[in-house]
Amino acid sequence: MVLVVASTLAQTRLGLLGAVNGYIRSFLVWWPVPGSDRSIPVFPGGGLVGLVLLVNLITAQVKRLAFSWRKAGLWIVHAGLILLFLGEFITSAFQVEMQLAIEQGQTLNYLESPREIELAVLDVTDPKHDDIHSIPEALLARGGTIAVPGTPLEIRVKSFFPNAELSQREPGGPEPVATSGVGASVAITPRPLVTSDDEINVRAAVVEPVADGRSYGTWLVSSALGAPQSFIHEGRKYVLMMRRRREYLPYAVTLKKFSHDIYPGTDIPKNFSSLVHLSNPVSKEDRDVLIFMNQPLRYAGKTFYQASFGKDDTLSILQVVQNPGWLIPYISCVLVAAGLILHFAISLSRSKNRRPNALEAT
Amino acid sequence: MRILTLFMAMAFALVTACRRDEVTQFQANKSQPMAAPPIAAPAPPGMAGEVEPPPTATGAAALKWKLPKGWTEEPAGGMRYATLKPPAGSGVDVSVVVLGGPAGGELANVNRWRGQIGLPPIDEAGLASSRKMVESPIGRLSVFDFTGDGKTKTRMVAAIGTAQDGKTWFVKMVGEAGAVGASATDFTRLLRSLHFNLAN
Repeated sequence: MVLVVASTLAQTRLGLLGAVNGYIRSFLVWWPVPGSDRSIPVFPGGGLVGLVLLVNLITAQVKRLAFSWRKAGLWIVHAGLILLFLGEFITSAFQVEMQLAIEQGQTLNYLESPREIELAVLDVTDPKHDDIHSIPEALLARGGTIAVPGTPLEIRVKSFFPNAELSQREPGGPEPVATSGVGASVAITPRPLVTSDDEINVRAAVVEPVADGRSYGTWLVSSALGAPQSFIHEGRKYVLMMRRRREYLPYAVTLKKFSHDIYPGTDIPKNFSSLVHLSNPVSKEDRDVLIFMNQPLRYAGKTFYQASFGKDDTLSILQVVQNPGWLIPYISCVLVAAGLILHFAISLSRSKNRRPNALEAT
Repeated sequence: MRILTLFMAMAFALVTACRRDEVTQFQANKSQPMAAPPIAAPAPPGMAGEVEPPPTATGAAALKWKLPKGWTEEPAGGMRYATLKPPAGSGVDVSVVVLGGPAGGELANVNRWRGQIGLPPIDEAGLASSRKMVESPIGRLSVFDFTGDGKTKTRMVAAIGTAQDGKTWFVKMVGEAGAVGASATDFTRLLRSLHFNLAN
């Protein structure tokens, strides 16, 4: 209860995701000591509470509950509850939330993370396809030299900014942060991290691509820069681009039509729906699917929900969730319900049997 | 029981700590769109990356040229006003880009191009000594010719011209040095044929 109240209050400061991660999914709640970079644990987090409850449940099951047919219903109920706890751990560890922001008529075969970024190094030399190397944000933040497998490239991270403000560099201002690309005319100001839901951290990094020992200068890459920047090494053209982290799919999705229905004579939304075409060359699937509120598309381990829209109703934003444990809560509920029914039936049967015996005794 | 608890805690910590911390590789077809919604607010003017979005150039402001024999023209896309291709198989890429105003100036653009092929920046004196002038119907064009180092040398020939309306035009040819050399004469001929569409 304390955790729920504290995490609800913390949403104003940390945003929804920050509060959930800091209070509910963590093992300990950490408090940053004012005037210092250190944090100390002040309260058990939701993860630890769940773990203790799980251990307590298993212990009680093994130690106190007799392994007999009469207790079969309770055994099943407890198994359902244990499964529910395990399911939450699996969800918090393995669930991946991505987005598919797609315009009418557009075909995409990748999803994008709403929060994480990547430095994409693309070899665009081949006229038919691009070789894409994705460097995750965590590696950039760690700094040092990052080898790009399958290429002669290595990326030396000179600096990384979790949040920064970019502006045009004034003549006579500080030295530019980069020597090549657009960064030569940009000034960068570090900013504190933001966590609320309506603010975005603008990530930026200064990197030095080096190929076969030759430096291609220092480049500024940032999620706030639109177009990619490129250089050529040994006849191969490489593009540097900081963007939302992508996950490529073995199938493609085309948005045929997005509908935003309202109640007649009002602006009150009635329904949002996306008519998409699913094309999978591997399974030779080609079919239309209508995704609307509470009616997601479940495909290849992913669930596509209608989440948002934009651009005068020509852009549909689908939330794509991959959760290997999504069935577990349903199975748990079935087990708990079945266990309770069985326990009730056994108790009823025993009670019925006991009554004649009691009458006989009188 | 202690062992079970410890195992579960360690397994949870491991799976949450070791995710997605390595460089991954994919291959994607060119045909898929590159555009994506911006993460943050639109970039400040002039910071949209390699170049800022091109202004629309139509009617009297539309640049035209006479395509050399064997060359092909591809539809405009992204930041480009046009993409031209010398005869198939050469791997040489010719881009035409238009920007509003001086677009950062000649020196900044030349040094940006030199950086793209691994050459160090030059100063105003170096810029003057490497500049050649080519006459065309749209005016005098500054032409620069640079070749990178390495086993496979990359050569870049680029022209900058300023139109009367203040827009700056860039015509750039880049590719393997031998292939660019084979197309150099045609490229100069193309530059000399540049003119504005006066029919509209």
